Amino acid sequence: MLAAFADPVFDSQRNFREMLQAMARPMQPRELPLLPPSPAPITPAAMALLLTLCDATTSVWLQQPNDEAMHHLRFHTGTRLAENPAEADFALISDPANMPPLATFAHGDMRYPDRSASLIVQVEGFRTDAGAHFAGPGIRDTAQLAIDGLPERFWQQRAEMAAQLPLGIDLYFVAARRVAALPRTTRKLES
Amino acid sequence: MDSSPHLARQQWMSLLAQAEPGELATAMEAFALPADATWLRPPQTGLYMLRGRVGGTGPQFNLGEVTVTRCSVQIGTRVGHAWVRGGNSRHAELAAYADALLQDNEQHPQLSQHVLEPLRQALQARRDAASRKAAASKVEFFTVVRGE
Repeated sequence: MLAAFADPVFDSQRNFREMLQAMARPMQPRELPLLPPSPAPITPAAMALLLTLCDATTSVWLQQPNDEAMHHLRFHTGTRLAENPAEADFALISDPANMPPLATFAHGDMRYPDRSASLIVQVEGFRTDAGAHFAGPGIRDTAQLAIDGLPERFWQQRAEMAAQLPLGIDLYFVAARRVAALPRTTRKLES
Repeated sequence: MDSSPHLARQQWMSLLAQAEPGELATAMEAFALPADATWLRPPQTGLYMLRGRVGGTGPQFNLGEVTVTRCSVQIGTRVGHAWVRGGNSRHAELAAYADALLQDNEQHPQLSQHVLEPLRQALQARRDAASRKAAASKVEFFTVVRGE
């Protein structure tokens, strides 16, 4: 078994601050201040997010569950592990190439659009000088970001979901130490 | 090891948790923390809701909240856990560490002799003192039969 944050309260608050900032400024990668140890296939950055967000009142769905990772999450966060993606508050995508369609996750209902899933997607890397342009709340003019390791069909599925606003799914992408957020309000511009 | 290791562990965890922090610290002085020990969960203090049932079978009720400090440590492949009443982090650390050592069949007899046995005697002495004090203040009530 592995340890988690050395100081659970303050360490998760420091990470939460960065995640909040990442969500407020979509598609602009930010560095996470603290990375805890993590069992495979969860990366340290994804584990930092899970330790920060999950507790006994939330449920998590793992794309590639294994005993060690499940035990680790249960021990350190007390979270419930969801059997199927539609029931999860948070989902960890450790293999984006084979991720289930976005429509399989909860995307809220008209009275409670907040009852939707937040996805944590482990990707290979970010490039801010390439890729698509994005616009929306929190972005001055446009933001450019290429996300390596994300399949093309992800963007098609997300575009199909865009018509359902305010329903939708919020995503965090993590690579190495960095996190970039893609809330449902961010539009991908056609180039 | 006991024939029922689960029950035996419950008993020693209970004993470690009920010990006075000072007694436990003295008893554990001889056992230094090994270098490969990892604190999986550093001592964390929080509140637990104590619940009870009247007569053990009645409906549940909330008795009140109690301060509890928990701690977990890993030594080699063994993980020691502790939940102790109160906010004493050192007590939780020592109890978790002792729990990890007690699971090791080689170290168990030594710990049993130098740690558990003195703690058991001290706990028994405290209980006896408390019941003697209570017995000294016992009042016998009786009703005088009224002549009608």
